[in-house]
Amino acid sequence: MIRFSGLGKQYGSVTAVRDLTLEVQPGEVYALLGPNGAGKTTALRCLATLLAPSSGSAAVCGLDVTTSPLEARRRMAFLSSSMGLYGRLSARELVAYFGQLHGLEGAALGARVAEMVELFGIGDFADRLCAKLSTGQRQRVSLARALVHDPPVLVLDEPTLGLDLVSGSATHDFISRERGKGKAVLFSTHQIDEVDLLADRVGVLSRGALAAEGTPAEIMRRAEAPNLARAFLALVGDAPLAEGPRT
Amino acid sequence: MKSAWSVVFVKELKETLRDRRTLLMMVAVPVLLYPVLLIASEQLLLFGQRRLEAERAPVALVGDVPSGLVSIISAGEALSLVPIEASPTEALRSDAVAAVAVLGPPTDAGGTRTVTLFFDAASDRSQRARGELSDALDDWADTLLASRLSGRGLPATFAVPLAVNDSSVALPEEMGGYTLGRILPLLLVVITLLGAFYPAIDLAAGEKERGTLETLLTAPVPASAIVTGKFLTVALIGVVAAALNLGSMLLTFQTGALQVTEALNIEVSIPLWSVAVIFLALVPLAVLFASLFLGLAVRSTSFKEAQNALTPVYMLVLVPAMLPIFPGISFGPLLAITPVAGVSFLFRDVMAGDADALLATLVLASTTLYAAGGLLFAASAFGSERVLFGGGEAADVPRTSWLTRLHSLGREGRVPEPPVALGFVAMLAVLFFYGGVRLQIGLGERVLLLSEWLLLFLPAVLFVTLGRFDAVRTLSLRAPTAGGLAAGVLLVGGALPVVWLVGWLQSFVLPIPWDLLEGLEELMTAGDARRLIWLLVLIALTPALCEEIVFRGVFLGGTRSLEPWRMIVLNGVVFGVFHLSFQTAIRFLPTAMLGSLIAWVVWRTGSIWVGALMHFVNNATLVLMTSTPAVREFMSDPEAPPPLWLIPVGAAMLAAGVRLLPNRTEP
Repeated sequence: MIRFSGLGKQYGSVTAVRDLTLEVQPGEVYALLGPNGAGKTTALRCLATLLAPSSGSAAVCGLDVTTSPLEARRRMAFLSSSMGLYGRLSARELVAYFGQLHGLEGAALGARVAEMVELFGIGDFADRLCAKLSTGQRQRVSLARALVHDPPVLVLDEPTLGLDLVSGSATHDFISRERGKGKAVLFSTHQIDEVDLLADRVGVLSRGALAAEGTPAEIMRRAEAPNLARAFLALVGDAPLAEGPRT
Repeated sequence: MKSAWSVVFVKELKETLRDRRTLLMMVAVPVLLYPVLLIASEQLLLFGQRRLEAERAPVALVGDVPSGLVSIISAGEALSLVPIEASPTEALRSDAVAAVAVLGPPTDAGGTRTVTLFFDAASDRSQRARGELSDALDDWADTLLASRLSGRGLPATFAVPLAVNDSSVALPEEMGGYTLGRILPLLLVVITLLGAFYPAIDLAAGEKERGTLETLLTAPVPASAIVTGKFLTVALIGVVAAALNLGSMLLTFQTGALQVTEALNIEVSIPLWSVAVIFLALVPLAVLFASLFLGLAVRSTSFKEAQNALTPVYMLVLVPAMLPIFPGISFGPLLAITPVAGVSFLFRDVMAGDADALLATLVLASTTLYAAGGLLFAASAFGSERVLFGGGEAADVPRTSWLTRLHSLGREGRVPEPPVALGFVAMLAVLFFYGGVRLQIGLGERVLLLSEWLLLFLPAVLFVTLGRFDAVRTLSLRAPTAGGLAAGVLLVGGALPVVWLVGWLQSFVLPIPWDLLEGLEELMTAGDARRLIWLLVLIALTPALCEEIVFRGVFLGGTRSLEPWRMIVLNGVVFGVFHLSFQTAIRFLPTAMLGSLIAWVVWRTGSIWVGALMHFVNNATLVLMTSTPAVREFMSDPEAPPPLWLIPVGAAMLAAGVRLLPNRTEP
């Protein structure tokens, strides 16, 4: 469903992503774990067709994102860390707008928007302008917006960034639910507990390159660490933290 | 199925109309604020005038005061006579009087008596009193003249051999169109511009800043559909704002709400076809502003940055838009194809009822062409990840400020970024303009030499050294090959007839600065060998080193990351602008062409030395030619075309130069 093949991204003399190769299968949740500046957002942006890879390739449902960007976008939901909501549109208008951009119209559009409103529990504030919503409400609208076309692939860039416990937990439930529907989910994060909770497999990204990949248990074993947090620190080579007290 | 651009357009329009700022600029200002302000300011003016007229202005007469004058003043209603003790100046300063007439001693029957009027030119009250007092004095002078004439048995008409009566053939509505045509074009252009200003920033930079553009670009629609939708929104807002303003202004005048129209005996009734033509011209203008602003705004990372980027454009647009206000500027083909100025003049002529069909076509065609260029400019930004994601750096790549980069230890291959290089050249241009020109005017040739070394060469060396840039790569310091040098000489020699031809063609549309040319000819003419050597050092060698290190050194090195053709054209344009002055617009194109040619050769050879040689050969040729009497005679007429035989010679040299030019080499 999702495939990175030796993907690299260069900004002038800065290498943001180096030779990234990974695959995410249907019904699998894959966490891209890494510290700030590791290249997570760049890798996801390359997959989402927002950035052109400098080398290698990325594909969604077998479609190369560079040569067939529009087709790839049709099969993918992309959620950016900034959520990206239009403040002067209501939640319902926003979901409908993206539905239209994905080719829905008429009764089909109306039905799908109503379904999204119901699914994400945004009925109470569906006609309120997005600028006036709380962070948790914005996240729900954002997810509804991303999934309006019911794609098989979900790409989520730090989906719980800035959310409180309740909203974060709702997002986790959503990801689990989508996995149950057989969708491939790739999300970036730097929260270890989130990875522990959700991920079937983890890719640890450090300085643009994949430092390790596997199930959380495999990662811990490889790093000879008692938990995922220690394994992560050992893999990204953060010396000062690694010398801290063991948990 | 609805097209993607229409979906984007409807959404953008809906969101824009929910923005109070846009509504204010589009509707509130033209429909409400503008007429209210116009009427209110007129009423205030009239109120002030009436108040001045309502009270008698106190005036004083000093000297031998004739009773006839006193009777005239007393009979009128505007002035009242008051005695003064102090001097006229003191009386005026203390506000005791508004004007004082000091009468000279009476003369004999045929003499001229002097009267001096003291008043305060900085006071409306005093100015009005002066006018009234002057009128009273004129009336008194008329009675004196009449009595003199009758004393000699002559009729009163004896002293009036000619009576001139004005009779304008302009109808009141034509006068209305003429008057409105002076003010309205500027206003319409500004309102169109302001109408597009905020929506463009909001829909481009604002969307980037809020992070919504990233989301939008993951929808399965091509970037062109997004640009089209956004651009149509901005253009529509601009057109609607201008149309509302036009309608509101015409209504304000036509409903008789303004008394000034009556006072000036003008009638504002613009025919429907004129309104249609104005509207027709507004559309491409709005398109031009929309695309230009959108293209600029999307290249900014935030609303504030976009405002800063767009404000200079706004100021620049005001200059051509204001031209119709100034008297004596006739509307011709050159002005018709000048961006913004053409539309502004067309509005003026349409309102005055004497628009020329050919000029109108030129204006519409050229503005449409510029608008299409603007659209390409905007569209290119939406397709560029560098532009969309803030100068090519993603969110997760740590950024450093340019100052930090400038001061950090440079490594091999490090060259300045394009904005830094451009900023450096702009700074030098300002320094050279203010410093260099002043020095040269005051101190002559030696200081001209010194200013090139101190204001161009030295800052360039300091910039590269202190910025810790790779000097070899930044300044293209690679040693030249014999082939490269020969190619450079052939190319610059071959370009000479082309540059001459361009200069000659330009003389049809641009004024030739004769005084300047004569001055330059005088400067460049060497009477003896010593002077010739000095001129070669001053005019050929010095610019070849000092200007080349700046333009083909720092600037070319700093813009190397751009596409080659952009880098080369930009280099020429900036080089041309640097040599520009108010008198020398005609020099721009030839200089820019030469700059681009040298830039291309330096880029290909990787060696600034080839550029320096080309610059030297070009300038030295001019000095040598001007110093040779026969040649000088031959080329002294800038209005003459180059001789025909020079064209094939030039072409052959250019072809040989291109053939000899080595393949692209990195410095």
